[in-house]
Amino acid sequence: MVQLNLPENSKIKKGKYHKDKTGSKNIRKVNVYRWNPSIKENPSIDTYEVDMNNCPSKVLDILNKIKNEIDPTLAYRRSCAHGVCGSCAMNISGKNGLACITPHSEIDGDIDIYPLPHLKVKRDLIGDLDGFYKQYKSIEPWLKNTSKLESSEILQSKKDRAKLDGAYECIMCACCSTSCPSYWWNGDKYLGPAVLLQAYRWIIDSRDEERKERLKKVADELKLYRCHTILNCTSACPKGLNPAKAIAEIKKMLVTANI
Amino acid sequence: MENNNPLSPHLQIYRWHISSLVSISHRFTGIINFLAIILICLWVCLLFLGESYYNVLSFFLNSFFGKFIILALSWSFSFQILSEIRQLIMDLGYGFELNTTRVTGLIVIFGSIILTILLYLVGKNFI
Repeated sequence: MVQLNLPENSKIKKGKYHKDKTGSKNIRKVNVYRWNPSIKENPSIDTYEVDMNNCPSKVLDILNKIKNEIDPTLAYRRSCAHGVCGSCAMNISGKNGLACITPHSEIDGDIDIYPLPHLKVKRDLIGDLDGFYKQYKSIEPWLKNTSKLESSEILQSKKDRAKLDGAYECIMCACCSTSCPSYWWNGDKYLGPAVLLQAYRWIIDSRDEERKERLKKVADELKLYRCHTILNCTSACPKGLNPAKAIAEIKKMLVTANI
Repeated sequence: MENNNPLSPHLQIYRWHISSLVSISHRFTGIINFLAIILICLWVCLLFLGESYYNVLSFFLNSFFGKFIILALSWSFSFQILSEIRQLIMDLGYGFELNTTRVTGLIVIFGSIILTILLYLVGKNFI
């Protein structure tokens, strides 16, 4: 059964208020989700007053500023800061995205920062993505080609290579999967947009020889058909990819393919 | 080991998009239409039982509340049919670009209201 409310231990309380100490005139309020595993308490929302006069343009810069200057206990994932690694995926003012490429000037009012939705929280903004990675592994995301010798090159036409555009760029940040209500309610069985986009990427690869097996494996009421084209995935993708379209293409292939 | 860590907020914080609104409304109107068809069947069944039985439901449907229900159902059917057409086009693999989904979503929302008004005017003036 779908549980619309948060469980009792996940209900959010009001947290600390960190007042600005710099005396700056250009202040923005940033509300951040906090949870510390070593304190047996419910999660809370801490509010930080951030001096925007000395803050670069992206949301990640705000978080860095908070961690460096206001509250060093804040925990979040980040690495490349250029939208390539996908570490800093989080929910920013109601929409999933990468903090490092989301400009804070595009957000009206206070900035609300939560972890990716419907994940078990490890600490503060860090969600548990183990299940997501397990599902990724389940589609066997590697080239399967037994007829060619390992030493020989597998050629691909420019046309076939172009089919991979829009699929291979995925950085597995989980923004799309965790934006999908279907994935929230059936995340244990439904593969979710990110993994299905990758499944599609290997199905359409002309060099792969297990197209039919891959299609057969993904053709499942729960694994695939829980996509109801809500399209939160496509609007969330920070790389501008279209998982919803890829899922539709898989569905189309299953209707037309003889398997 | 059971994981007792809190669950991060989802429905509570996620912003609504036109496409998600149309998707959930499609489901709700589907359930309403299912119930509405039962009501219509009941109405037809009452025809077999004679005029007085039929008049009871007719009286109800002609009351203010009854008219409201008919109007609401007209909207629900209009919405469902437009949204289903959008869905069928998507099943063919078209209309997945973000701007297109926004435009088609708005067409469904406003189209259903316009269709309801048209149905109302046709019903009022010609039947």
